[in-house]
Parts: sequence; structure tokens; C-alpha cells
Amino acid sequence: MLFVSICAMAQQIEINGVVTSKNDAMPLPGVSIIIKGTSTGTTSDFEGAYSLLVNRGDQVEYSYIGFETVIITIEDETNIDVALVDDVESLSEVVVIGYGTQKRKEVTGAIASVSGAEITKQPAVNALQSIQGKMTGVNIVNTNAPGSEPNIIIRGIGTASSGSDILYIVDGVQVNSITNINPDDIETFDVLKDAASASIYGMNAANGVVIVTTKSGKKGKMKIELSSYYGAKSMLNAVEMANSSQYVRYFNENQMMSGETTFLSPDQPYDTDWYEELTDIGFSNSNNVAISGASDDIKYFFSFNNYTEDGVLDDHDYNRNTIRANNSVDLFEDRLTLSTNLSASFIKSLPKPFSAFNSAYRQAPVIPVYYESGQYGQSYWNQTTGIATYLGASTDVIGSLNSVGNPVAAVEYTNQENNTTDLQGSFQADFNITDDLKVSGRYTGTKSYSKSRSFNDTRALWLISDPTRTDEEFQINQDNNPEVTTYADNSLSYTSSESYRYNLEGFLTYDKTFNSVHNLNAVAGLSRGQRNDVFTMYALGYGVPSQENYWSINFADDGYEKVVSQYYSTPTREQSYFGRVMYNYDGKYFLQANIRRDGTSNFKNDTNEDYFDNFPAVSAGWSISNEDFFNVSFIDFLKLKAGWGQVGNSRVPFNQSTITTSTGSSSVNYVFGANQDLVFGAAYGAEILPISWEITEELNAGFNLSAFDSRLNAEFNYYNRNTKNAILLVTPIYTTEGSGSFYDHGAEVTNKGIEIDLKWRDNITDDLSYNIGAIFSTNKNNVENVKSAYDGQVGGSLGNGQITKRLEEGQPLYSWWMYDVEGVWQNQEEIDNGASISGALPGHLKYSDLNDDGIIDDKDKKFFGSYLPTYSYGLSLGLNYKNVDLIIEGYGAGGNKIYNGLKGTRINGGENIAEDVFNYRWTGEGSTNSDPGANRDSYASSYYLEDGDYFRINNITLGYTLKDVIKGVSSVRLYATAQNPFMFTKYSGFTPEIIGSSAGTGGIELSAYPTLKTFLFGVNIEL
Amino acid sequence: MKLKTIKFGMLLFTLLLVANCSDDYLDVDSRAEIDAADSGDVVEPEEMVNGIYGMLTDWDYSFSYLGITEIISDNADKGSSASDTGTDKHLLDALEHTTTGPSILAMWEHWYKSIGRASIAINYTGDYGLTDHDYRDRLIGEAKFLRALNYFWLVRSFGDVPLQHIDYVVRQPKDDVYEFIEQDLLDAIELLPKKSEYASADLGRATQGAAQALLAKVYLYDEKWQDSYDMATAVVTGGDYDLFPNYEELWRESQENGIESLFEVQGRGESIAHGVQQYSQVQGARGTSGWGWGFNIPSQNLLDAFNAEGDNIRRDATIIFAGETLWDGREVSASTENPMYSEKAYSSASAGASDGDKNVRILRFAEVLLIQSEAALHVGADAATPLNRVRNRVDLESISAPTYEDIWKERRLELAFEHDRWFDIVRTGEAQSAMAANGKTFEVGKHELFPIPSLQINQTPEMTQNPNW
Repeated sequence: MLFVSICAMAQQIEINGVVTSKNDAMPLPGVSIIIKGTSTGTTSDFEGAYSLLVNRGDQVEYSYIGFETVIITIEDETNIDVALVDDVESLSEVVVIGYGTQKRKEVTGAIASVSGAEITKQPAVNALQSIQGKMTGVNIVNTNAPGSEPNIIIRGIGTASSGSDILYIVDGVQVNSITNINPDDIETFDVLKDAASASIYGMNAANGVVIVTTKSGKKGKMKIELSSYYGAKSMLNAVEMANSSQYVRYFNENQMMSGETTFLSPDQPYDTDWYEELTDIGFSNSNNVAISGASDDIKYFFSFNNYTEDGVLDDHDYNRNTIRANNSVDLFEDRLTLSTNLSASFIKSLPKPFSAFNSAYRQAPVIPVYYESGQYGQSYWNQTTGIATYLGASTDVIGSLNSVGNPVAAVEYTNQENNTTDLQGSFQADFNITDDLKVSGRYTGTKSYSKSRSFNDTRALWLISDPTRTDEEFQINQDNNPEVTTYADNSLSYTSSESYRYNLEGFLTYDKTFNSVHNLNAVAGLSRGQRNDVFTMYALGYGVPSQENYWSINFADDGYEKVVSQYYSTPTREQSYFGRVMYNYDGKYFLQANIRRDGTSNFKNDTNEDYFDNFPAVSAGWSISNEDFFNVSFIDFLKLKAGWGQVGNSRVPFNQSTITTSTGSSSVNYVFGANQDLVFGAAYGAEILPISWEITEELNAGFNLSAFDSRLNAEFNYYNRNTKNAILLVTPIYTTEGSGSFYDHGAEVTNKGIEIDLKWRDNITDDLSYNIGAIFSTNKNNVENVKSAYDGQVGGSLGNGQITKRLEEGQPLYSWWMYDVEGVWQNQEEIDNGASISGALPGHLKYSDLNDDGIIDDKDKKFFGSYLPTYSYGLSLGLNYKNVDLIIEGYGAGGNKIYNGLKGTRINGGENIAEDVFNYRWTGEGSTNSDPGANRDSYASSYYLEDGDYFRINNITLGYTLKDVIKGVSSVRLYATAQNPFMFTKYSGFTPEIIGSSAGTGGIELSAYPTLKTFLFGVNIEL
Repeated sequence: MKLKTIKFGMLLFTLLLVANCSDDYLDVDSRAEIDAADSGDVVEPEEMVNGIYGMLTDWDYSFSYLGITEIISDNADKGSSASDTGTDKHLLDALEHTTTGPSILAMWEHWYKSIGRASIAINYTGDYGLTDHDYRDRLIGEAKFLRALNYFWLVRSFGDVPLQHIDYVVRQPKDDVYEFIEQDLLDAIELLPKKSEYASADLGRATQGAAQALLAKVYLYDEKWQDSYDMATAVVTGGDYDLFPNYEELWRESQENGIESLFEVQGRGESIAHGVQQYSQVQGARGTSGWGWGFNIPSQNLLDAFNAEGDNIRRDATIIFAGETLWDGREVSASTENPMYSEKAYSSASAGASDGDKNVRILRFAEVLLIQSEAALHVGADAATPLNRVRNRVDLESISAPTYEDIWKERRLELAFEHDRWFDIVRTGEAQSAMAANGKTFEVGKHELFPIPSLQINQTPEMTQNPNW
């Protein structure tokens, strides 16, 4: 072997040069320079310089992430300077596909990618918030609450009742969420959208797979990066509410119509803007340090991030610290690589009730935040004087305008603190058995601890809810009822839980090219792991001392019974076998097949030992542009592709144990005996039917195109996916014994759509370059082949006895279903002669009698489509001029309907209304036939169902980069960003982006956290 | 070196492979819930029976039930704020209720689920193999009593209804349903011990007396006058029960399960508190100094009826007036939102608590006397004596030759807010005139029965609807 090496050296020459970026002519450190077909090579140093011993005739490959690879054949010239073309979206980029990587141009499935650099350009606490509108088919419903996690839906919802969470793979390992990942640590973010790609993750992949790869050190000089930003947030698109005088008029009109004889006086002492009182400017701040580098044998990456946020509600705080260390070492002549990725995240949050936004909408403006006495305002009014106060002469009647509380008090007296710690670590060994065959093994463990404390000041809350109450009264009640917790001074509870998950994997990778044209890559391996191993402890006590330092159950008053409960989950174990073969002939014909055999312990109850199922997939591609006959000069690359695959969803709901029991106040328990003791009971719960995993099949077809010297890059995909055995939550027939709903496989859910991704980039001059991107996706959801009697499940409860959704064959999943409004009743005669709903009055909405039977009932309810957008699009514009960069990005979605529950669920006529509701209301015969009057019913109807279309500018960033102006600092970038500065929508509520389950509050605005606009300023420094 | 490293790599791989190969890896024992296979020896028949009683504490009895028993009648108004509808309580109050009313659906479903629990408990207890046969019989007797109670509530509300053991969809004739209820109660009378025979810890369970009293009432609805009279007489002469002399005190905690009590729903206020969920809160005074939502308030019509009779004792025990000071010293502000509230729902200790100590009275000795009196009039027996026992307790003069109207009026004043008024006026044919006197239009031929809920018809379109709905 030594001899061979010496022989080889004798024929070598040394080449050298500098590698630069063509875009800005700056030197590129860390470029990989390798003799093609060998592992011999080097990397460029900090000045971009390199030298390498080669043979004449060798092909030298210059590659660097984010740039197009250049191959140069060495002849006589030894000084070779190379300028790499910066091409983020280039087809040569590498995508992570699970147990391996693939070049973008070889991909035969549908995989969307976003680079870490793009994520950090839109700073947020969670990377998901940054990628909205950047990938086709990936619909992200954002939320701006501190520390919150957006809802992500890939190619539509395929399940009615099962988990719709996507699968996250962080550095190769399945995890629950990425809330503990610092966005600055992310190198790449890849989404496996179609089943042909995702089926390598089998039974957990039906909702799509997101693969996050964190950063590692790169060869070259040690890199130190510092970045900070500071942002201020306020409400976007706040709804203008009625003021005091408008409210009084509206209220009195309602009283008049209801036949009441008491009215509010037009002279009211208070005019409260509840949103103004409830919210203030929120702040966010992030500080990040990352140190990375690599020598020949060792790569290292360390980072620390601190993120703090103060939401728009008072003391709604969130604080996260994350630490990461990703290190690796090469041993035995680079044959063996050992690597560890360790991360820790520490989160402390003080949550506040979002219901305060709901209360702020509803509480009357005539009610003050505080009375002059300093007590909190409540919805009392003196019906004798008409003044909104709790005070009055002894014979005055004091009533309530509504049953809404004081939202400012609700926020103030919510005293909760959550602490979460996540520790995650993996150890991986990769060993090259031969040049072509590699064996890899890894262990990953995640340990999470969370502790939640909740303190309830019962005495204060009792006093707050009625200003005439006194502390003495409370004391008397407490003395008279020593064991009754209603009159305890306070209550304190702790919930503590810890969980552990691990994963063990081993796989072989074979990668070889035969006869220079047959390229083969094969992977086979095994995986096993356990998740959902949770231990929870709960303790509740009453009457602890008021000082926070004594908030311990030990100090609770022994006069009250303490509650302690403990819970163990049943862990879920998974065992899997997987394999994949990728073959291509000369870069022209591509074929890929994979299979995963997955078993999950959850399915034990099924047919005894039948845990396993197989999830196969095949896909193929054809690069027409590589054919000799292809001769379209402006097209650089064109590939057609198609694939089919099967994926599963194992996160299904199980029918619970047949016996229902409880240790608290529950309708299975009862009180017996002279001492009235609580006696436990039991009852049969829901019907038990065996539940299996859901299976989704998907067909994907499309093409990739690159044209006009790679200035245009385009991708098109069509998909058709079908969840063949979707699980429905079935309400048993009312007259049966079985109480509680049960689950059963009972329908198919299909999702079809197209995705178009266009990117154009060009350099106008050496100093000026620009790029324009547009993405567009559609989704059509449909429920088919529903089992008989399983149709008609209703959902979308408004919390006031009204439902808004129904699951029905031939309609999208949980479609809107309600009365159709055809006008406003103008007078009693019309009502008497028409089909009216019970209790109709002039000024009420007139519902269509669709079946013409003269009665308005459920048979007259109509379907109005889905709450989920049927299309979404994103636009982006980037401009670079010398040291200045500008980014403008926008996102829009539509085709859906949103139910304005804030407007439509007035449980009680004394709640406040939006100014528009006041302005456009019916005020008498002939005034309007489109909007109801002050006296209105609260049935769910199409009147409150509005178009959900919106377009939002979600990012405008202006940056300025200074290079080498300070000694020792290689670059400084200063930037200012406006996030969500503008939203264009006809929707009359706060936000048409509403998170919620399909059967629940998805698409219904009730207590949604409003969308915020954020202005932030940041700096990135590279040393 | 190279060989060594290859060995190392292979070893690593082999280890992983071996670790992956055991098949029982996926056999995970349940920790979260007790497996059905392991739970057979955990759930005792008595727990299954307790679970039937538990249904009586459900929230449905605190809101929906008020709507379809009292608010709908001439005894009560919806209450609360004018604009707070209580979803469909305003419609019930106005006799404008519809097939989609959630209150009607809630009780329809709740009664069927309660019946289901009872039937399951009967089978479970029978099959369990209890060696103490008296104990087994008692449990079955309790379940049969509760099943009969729920079927009775169902049949008097909806008329012909499906009998669960026959069919879920086909509505059985009312007479068959009554027959089934009566058989269950006859069985229960056989199986159940007397109140005095129960251990102290079992106070509150269904007794032989409760089954007899309920059967007397069922016979009354079924117009089997002689049977009703005999059954009521059996309770009256049985010696276990009597009138408690002070009507006012009857509703307080001190008189719970007292001498007059045949059956009542139990509640406790101490932690862990458990009662009919929010029963006292929903009916509590609303507004300043109040403790509740102010629903189901006495109507002027009821107040007038008390005053016309000069029935001050029962009036003041039944109604909380704004501005009064209650017996326990609680001052009710004159400024509360409604002028009157139900005092029978009031709990002194846990007034506004969601789970309170209020025992909701279902069957009282006074009612048994009134049943006896009414049945006596039909069969020509002594109707005056039982009626006058009830009247004399509250200082009202005796009626020597009572008419049906006298007895029905007495039922109204004695049993106001005990969830019977609506069914009484329907049963006696007084509904149209009584409701008209209260300013509401009772549609004869329609309003006697509640509609089958529309969601039930959605599920089982072949189920027939009641007349004129």
C-alpha cells in the first residue's frame, strides 16, 4: 500500500488558486475541492486559497453548499482561480431524504426545501413561523402568541379524528416537535411531501415528514457568529368596537324589541376601549452565539441562544435558552466517523388566558376597568337610573348587562408558571467497510421535564366578581363552611411530568457507479424505539400562605382535603425494517423503490399479535434534457417524474377501556350515607371496536425545469392522495345504552391538488442582482364512501348550543353546515305569512326554507364548503445592490370560509358589538335587508360565515453589510424588518388564520390570539 | 489496524442487529388504564349500580331539565337577563320550543343512557356470581327502580318511546312502556329493603317505600286508579314515613333524607364536593349580592296562586324575594336582577358552588298523600283525609269534600319547583286553560308531548315524529 502511494505521488503536480463567489467576488472559505471519483481533496482556506496535488487529466470538483458545483479537468495550467455561482435553488443542491441524501436533480418525489439562511431572514421563535409561504403544498397557519407553535398541514388534511401532527426528523431521529430547536442552529429544512418520498418513514408519515438538519462545523478558520435582534409587536387588523354611546343606543333598541321597560341612560360615566386596556406593546429579543470550525479530523459546532418575549397581554412572558454542541471526529484514516449532537433547551413561560380577547370583544364599553373605589368593573347596571354601576338607592334594581367578566382582571389574576426542560442527545458511528459500503449506527435519547404551577386567589376572585361583596362576608362564609373549598382563601396546584423517548437505528449504505453510467445507491436497516413514556404527578391544596415563597402543598391548610394523583402512560414501542434502492442510468433515467415494515405496540389490542404492516413506494424520473434528441436551446434541464406510495398514520385514537371510573366529582360517582360520603361508581363507556392504523395512498406526478441559463427554475406537481380507512368519531344512536362517542374506520378522505413553484434570478450588473419567486398550491378535500349511519357527525361547536360543521359524504371534511340567510324580516306580517324559525321578530335574519315545508329546522341547513383554504400562494422579491439587500415577501390563502364567532355568538344581548355592526344594523322596516337589527337570534347562519381570503405582506427586510471594516471582524450585517406590516382581507374579525381541529374550532374565531405586526432591528456579526 | 477497524464496525452493526431482533419488544403492558382482561375483579356490581345513581347528578338536571319541567309551565319564568336566552329556555318559556331544542335532546339522550346503565348493571350483577343473594337482589332492585324512574320521565315527556331491550328505533305504544315500568317497580318492591333496613352508610339508596311511591305515581299517570290508591295506601300505612311538621325546614340540609323523604338525589359540599352539578348556582339570585345565574324563577302567576289561597307558609318557603333576609342570615339585595328566585334550590353552605350539598327531592310523603287523595276520589274512597293532612301542616283549613280541582291545586302549591307541574297540567287536561291564564298558547294535540329531537331523526330517519311536530 505504501508502495502504491509513492508510485502515485511521482506523477503528481500541484495546482493552486483562489475560490471566490461570482456574485460578490468575495473569497469563499471551506469550499470542498476533491479529485472526482476519489476521497482525495482539500478545502479552501479563509482567503479562499487552496493547493492540491493532482494528476494531469484528473477532474477536480469544487463544491460548496449554496453554490453550483464546478468540475475542471486538469491539463497544463496549474494556477486555477474558480468563481462559483451562488445558486440557492440550484438543482445541484442536496436534499435530505431520510437515511441518506439525494441531489435535487435526481429527486423523483416531491420534496420542498428551505435553507437555514432563509429561515433566519424571518426571525421567529419557531422555524415553522419563518417558512410560511416558502414551500408549495405546505400550509402553515401561524399564531403569534408567545412561544406558540403554528399549525402545519401538508397537502391537506387526510384524517377526521386521528392525529394530524406531521412527523419531525431532527438529525435523523423522530421527535415530537421542534419547539426546542433554535432556528439559528438549522442548516436545512426539507419536507417530504409525497408518499413515494415519505414512505421510508412508514406508519408515521401520513401527515408528511419534515426533516431538520442542524449545523456542523466546516473546514477552514474558526467561525464565530453573533446575532441579536430586538422587536416590538402590536395588534394587526384590530376590530373597531362600538363606543359607549353607540352601545347604549344598540342596547336600548334591543330592550325595546324584547318588550323590556328598562333602558340605559345616554349619559354614562365611562367609555372603555377594552382592547386598548387589555393589550400593550409586546417585545421580543433574541441573542445568539455560534462557534464552529473543523480541522482534518474534527468538526465542531457550539451555540447558545436566549430568546425572550413579552406578549401583548400583561406579563404574558416566554423565555427560552438553548444550548447545542454538534461534534464529530474521523478515525482510522477517515474510515470511522463518530459524532454526537447534544442539545438542551430550558423554557419558562407565564401563560395568560386567550379568552381575555373574547371578553374584551364582548364586555360593554360603559363598564369601567376599575370603579372609582378601585374595585374592578363588572357588568352591573342600575335599571332604575339607567347608569352602568353597581350603586343605587335601596329600592333600585341592579341588573347585569351580560355575563362577561372583566378581561383585565382575568389576565391579572391568572397566575401560572410553566417550566420545561428538554435534553436531547445522539451518538452516531459511521464506518466505511469498503469504499462503497458504509455501516451506520446511532442512539438518540430525549428526556423532557415539565413543571406547571397554578395559583388561584379564590378570595380575591370572589370579591372581584361583585363590588358589593366585602372581605368580612367572605370570612363569615369561610368560618361557617370550614371544609367547603369555594370559601378557601386560595388554591394551589402543581403538575409535574417527565418523559423519555429513545431510538436505536442501524443501517447499511451501498453507493457505487458501474461502468460510469449505472449509478446505484441502496440502503437497508433496522430501527426500534420507544416514545410516550410519561410520568405525571398532580397535587392540589387549598389555603396556602399568600407569599409566593411559601407556595408549597406542604403549607396548605389541612382543613381541606388535598388531592394528589399520579399517572403513568403506556409507552408506545415501534420496530421497523426499511430498505431503499435508487438507480439511475447516466443521469437520464431514474428509478427509486423503498419499503418500510413498521410495527407499533399500540395495536396490541387488535387481532392479537398483528402489529405490523408494510409501506411500499416506487417512483421514476426521466431527464429529457439529457437526451441527445432534446434540442431546445433555452431549456437547461427538464425532468419528468411520477411516483406512487403508501404511508400510514399510527397516531389514531383508541376506544378507551370499557369501564369508566373517576375519583372526583363525576356522573359515575354518587353520595351515600348519613355522613354524605362520596362513593365511587363505574359504568360502561363507549363501544369498543378494534382500531387499526390509517393508510394513505398517494400518486404524484410533475416536472422540474431549469431554463434561460438557470435564471428560471420551476417545479410542478400534481397529487392525488386518499386515506382509505379514515377513522370517524361516531356518536352512538341516542336511544342506545352506549354513552360517549366511539371511533371506527368509516370513510375515505381524498386530497387532490397542484403545486407550482417558480423562481427567477438574474444579475443586471456585477453590483445589482435580483430574484423573484412565486408559489401556488391548490387543495381539494372530499369525504367519500362513508359507512352507513356514520354520516352526519356534527362539530364546530360555538359554545352556545349551536354547531356549525357536519361530516358528510361528498363534502370536504367537516364542512360548514348551517342556515342560509336570505334577508331580514321587515315586519310581523311577513313572519306570520312566511316560514320562520321559532321566536322570530322583525329585524331578525330570515332563513331559507330550503325544503319548502314551511318550517325552519335542520333539514334547511346547507353546506358551505371548508374552513381550510383551497389555495395558497407566496410571493417574494429580493434585491441586492452592493452592500444593500432588500427582501419583500407575502403570503396569501383563500377559497375557504371563516365563521366570525365573536360577532355571531352573542349569548346575551348585552354584549358589545363591532362598530360596523352598529352602523349597518336594521333599524326598522325598509332600513336594510342584509343586516339584522339590535335584537337578533344566535343561530349559526351564513350571515356570520365570511370569505377567509387574505393576503399578507409578512416580511420586509432592509439590510446593509459591512465587510472587513473593523479589524478582526469579517462582516457585520445590520437589518431592519417589518413582519406582517399589512394584511388585505375582507374578513371582519381579527384574523382569518385560526388554529383548531377540524371537528372543533378550526376556522371559528372565538378566542383567537390576534395576528401581530412586528418591527425588529437586528445585527449579525461574523468574527 | 485496518482489520481491527473493520471488526469494530461489524461488531457495532451486529450489536444493533441483535438488539433489534427480539419479537416481544412490542408487547408493552398497559400502565395508563387497567386492561379489560385485568379489570373483571376490580369492578364490583355495586359500583355499576352507583354509576346509575351518578347519572342523576349530571349537569343536564340543572339546566335542560329545569327548562322542560318548570320554565315551560305556568309556575316559572326563564329568569336571568331578558336577553340571556339559556339557548332555548326562552322558547320553552314562551311555548315556542322546536324539534331542535337542545334541552329536549339532552334529556332524551340522558334518560336513555341512564336506562342503559341500569340494564347493564342488572345483567352484570346477575352474572357476577354474588354469593350473598339478599345483597344481589337489593342491587338489582335498585337498578330496576332507577330504570323505571328514567322510563317514567321519558314516557310522560314523549309518549310512545323505544324500549331499549326491544328495539332502538321502533317506538312502542305508551301502554307497553307503562307496563314495563310497572313490572320493574313490582320487582323492585319485592327485592328492595325498607328504608329502616338499610345500613347508615347506605342512606339515600332506593328503598321499597320509594318503589311503592313511584309505582303509585306511575299508576296515576296510567289511570289505574285502584292500583294507585292501593300502592299509595301501602306507603301511607307502612309506618316508615310521615309528614315533617315544619314545611319551611324541609328544604334545608337538616331535613335531608328525613322522615318525609322517599327518594332524593344526594349531594355533598365538602371537598371532594359532588352534587347535581350547578343545580343551586343556575337557580341562585342574579346580580349584586347574588350567587347564581337567576334561571327558573317563580312566576307572578304562581305567586298569585299562593296569595289567593292565603298560603303564606309554602309561599315563603318556595320563593326567595329580592330584598328579603334568608333564614340563615343571608341578605338578598333588593337590587337583584329578578324579583323572585326558587328557594327550594337554595343551599346555605354551597349556594353558588358548582358542586353543592343540595339534595334534590324527587319523592316526598306529602306527594304520596296527594296521590292517595286523587286516586281515592276516583275509586270512591276517602280523599279528604290525606289531602287535609297536607293542608293542615301549613295552617290551611280542611276541605271536607274535595274535588279534583282542589287536589290538583294542592299539588301545585305543595310541589311547586319540584319538577312536576308541567306534567300535571298535561295529565289533568288543565294545560290549555292554565297556560292561557299565564299568557301562553298551549296547542292542543301538539304540546302534550315533546317532539322527538331532530338529531335523533337525522340518525334514524325511520323513527316517527309526534303529532303536529
